[in-house]
Amino acid sequence: MTAEQDTHPSPAQYWKIAALLAILTTFEVAMFYVDRELGLGGLNALILISLALLKFVIVVGWYMHLRFESAIPNRFFTAGAILALALYLVVLSALGVVVIRG
Amino acid sequence: MSDVAHETPVAHHDEHESTGIGNRKLGMWVFLSSEFMFFGALIATYLLYSNRGGFEGTYPSEIYDIPFTSVSSFVLLMSSLTMVLAHNALSKGDQNGTRTWLFATAALGAVFLGGQVFEFTEFIVQSDMTLSTNPAASAFYLLTGFHGTHVAVGVIMLLSLWGISRRKGGLSEEHGMNLELVGLYWHFVDIIWIVIFTVVYLLSVPSA
Repeated sequence: MTAEQDTHPSPAQYWKIAALLAILTTFEVAMFYVDRELGLGGLNALILISLALLKFVIVVGWYMHLRFESAIPNRFFTAGAILALALYLVVLSALGVVVIRG
Repeated sequence: MSDVAHETPVAHHDEHESTGIGNRKLGMWVFLSSEFMFFGALIATYLLYSNRGGFEGTYPSEIYDIPFTSVSSFVLLMSSLTMVLAHNALSKGDQNGTRTWLFATAALGAVFLGGQVFEFTEFIVQSDMTLSTNPAASAFYLLTGFHGTHVAVGVIMLLSLWGISRRKGGLSEEHGMNLELVGLYWHFVDIIWIVIFTVVYLLSVPSA
């Protein structure tokens, strides 16, 4: 990675990222109402979780600058997120709340 | 004038030789990492009870006001923008810009908190759903209440920094690191709300 690529985004880029986040949120809310009309079920859940994950990655990567940080904070933060997700998925599947199909 | 300041961004201050990152900043990343476990437990508890029958009283998913919560979510999302603009302004030595964007971030956080107070009041007064109505209601208030508490702590930290920035000389290099740490915390509160909004609000309402 060059030094130029390593610099933080400019204010104009921050505004563009915010616009993208706003569009994704609008899409999420729209999906909620589409599901109420059409009853998409699992597909709706998949789309909404994907959109939330995308927003999550954008905020962490660009606003929290994790993609510009060294490996140590990256590892800590990613490990914390993955471990928590894995632990609670196991707990919820054991309790029958989440069904994981192999 | 600001070129020199721009070439030495706040992010590179207070670095430790062995890790390449300041101890305080590393501490904040580790703290935020541990917060995933904390909020994960609360979200999992809500999911466990949200649609579990056998209890009397109103369930949260029956009374969500999605348009209202969507606006609140948008407000919190935009506060992340003002937070990075404050950080960017300070890295360029723009004290006025830093003050403005810090105050805007605190104000947006306060608007979000006001919305949460309004939502809770509506739920309690209009729908008679209190903390002890049923396990789903308890889990809902616990989760969103703890998130709101985190937002309130963030607003207090932002207003403290804003108060310091109003003093003669504005925010110093050391305060720049404080602003970065508060920024990390603030963005984390935002990403947790991204998850809560989707999982707790949008996905737990049954299809019509």
